[in-house]
Order: sequence, then structure tokens, then C-alpha cells
Amino acid sequence: MKFAVVVFPGSNCDHDAHYAAQHVLGQQAEYIWHKETSLKSADVVILPGGFAHGDYLRTGAIARFSPIMAEVQKFAAAGGPVLGICNGFQVLLEAGLLPGAMLRNRSVKFQCEHVLIKVEQTDTPFTAACRVGQVLRIPIAHGEGNFYAEPHVVARLERNRQVVFRYTNTEGVATEDSNPNGSVANIAGLCNEQRNVVGLMPHPERACEMALGSADGLVLFESAVKAVSEGAFSTAKAVAAAR
Amino acid sequence: MRARVFVTLKPSVFDPQGRTVTDALHTLGYSAVRDVRQGKYFELEIDAQRPEDARKLAAEAADKLLSNPVIESYRIEIADEVTA
Repeated sequence: MKFAVVVFPGSNCDHDAHYAAQHVLGQQAEYIWHKETSLKSADVVILPGGFAHGDYLRTGAIARFSPIMAEVQKFAAAGGPVLGICNGFQVLLEAGLLPGAMLRNRSVKFQCEHVLIKVEQTDTPFTAACRVGQVLRIPIAHGEGNFYAEPHVVARLERNRQVVFRYTNTEGVATEDSNPNGSVANIAGLCNEQRNVVGLMPHPERACEMALGSADGLVLFESAVKAVSEGAFSTAKAVAAAR
Repeated sequence: MRARVFVTLKPSVFDPQGRTVTDALHTLGYSAVRDVRQGKYFELEIDAQRPEDARKLAAEAADKLLSNPVIESYRIEIADEVTA
């Protein structure tokens, strides 16, 4: 199967995501420059971390208007699995593919550290190989990861089981101390109502081999392979069929 | 024609930067400053005949790009209206 890694000017985790898919998992992976207008029959789309367009104006605000984003919108609407990591998550929020917005971290600092996140939902293409309640040790690296949504939106996310990852302690309890950035309800990642679009602030692609200090992130990529091979989520072919 | 667009976080949204600036001002002895809200300011030079056309265009720009309606609101001033 084939992963597409979208490259915006200023993306800097594109190689990590490509490496995780191609070298660690042995799958096909291809970079897609943001000015391109085709996802080239990819089965999974990854919007990587970084500082797309320098994060000018707001994080992800300019990137959402890149030509490739029209294709990502179509791919997502047809049920194709899309993963936004860190800056990619911010792009998904700005594009309206996921609800909410990011504020500056509560600490007002750029934070670079390993955190613990609990997997709460396994019926998404990026958690299909996880256990419910599994706690992953994955690094964060962001200045604006303080997730915000109005209370009625947060209530809807909880009701629909759209909170996929939450910052927790080792026991999987969402405490104030385990929340690195002030995110409402300790939300680290979420999915859309259709569950095929997932975004998270931590970087699973930076935790795919023990040489990196943790291999806990690999399960997200393994999940995508599992979900696509089982046909649980429609792929690029579905996009073509939907046209 | 010049449009000024002021983008600010909605009152209900916590502003960590504004909080930090408030704390710094208190450190400097400005205890009378009760709160600071930090925002963004844009000046748009617009080719338009009438102020209302410039305002309409500036509002569209603010809705689509300059602000994020989830967390921010905006206010527009048209320069000619201000000086007139």
C-alpha cells in the first residue's frame, strides 16, 4: 500500500514520516509537493509536522489554501484515511476537516519533550492496531498545541467518541500534571465524525525505532496498514469512484 | 483606500500571551493594569471607489483568512471614514 506525505514549504517532519512508512514498515511512500493537484493513488495521506509557510498569520492558516488541500478534502470526504501530525493537525483544524483551534501553550514556551498519551478509540485507521487504554510514550515539539474548542463542541466530541488521544499519566489518568500545554480536557488528538481523519500534536513518526528513545509511535502506522488491508476504510480508489 | 483590521481572541478564550504581558507589566510596577489581551493588526491597501466596498472586501478577507472564527473576532476601520 502507498502512503502520500504532503510537503509544504517549511514542513520538517516529512522525511521522518516517509522513513517510518517506507523503511520501518516496508510500505510504499511518496512525497507530494503542496502545489501538486494529485495524491497519486495513495491509500493513506499524511500531513507532516513542521512550520508550513513559516506558520505566518496562524499555524496552518496559509497551508490550508495550498492546491493539494483541495485533493486532501476530496480524499477525506470519500473516506480515505488522513493523518495530521502536529503542524499537519493544525492544518486540518484550519481547513475545517477537524473541529477546534490551537492556542499558544499555557507555558508560552515551545515545548520539546516526551509525553504520555492514552489511546481512547480504536475504530480509526490510525489506532486500529491499538488496545483501548494503551498508553504511548511519544514526543511533542510545539509552541501552539493548546487545543481549544467551545464547551458545547467539546461535549459533542466526547459524546461522539471523537477524542482519540488524551494526555495522561502512566496509569492512563488524565491529570492536570500530565497535560503539557493546557489543552481542554487533556485532548492530544481527535478524529472527525466519519472517523477517517485523525489529528494529533505528538509525533508518532519520531518514535518508531528504539534508537529514537521509543518505538510506541509505530503502532499508528501499523494501524493504517491494518485498516487499509482489511478494507475498513476506503482508499484512493474510492475517491476515483466517487468522482 | 486603507482598511484597518483588528483581530482579537474572543473574550471567552484564554490568552496565554496576554497573561504573560500582564505579569511583566506588574513586575515593572504597573499594578493598575488589570488585564492585557494581545491581538493582531492589519493594514489593507484596497482599490475601491466607496468605503463600503472596501469594508465588504476587508470583511471577506477577515472571514476567510485574517481571523479564525473558532477563537477570534475582528473589527474593521476604513481610514477615509475615520478622517472624514
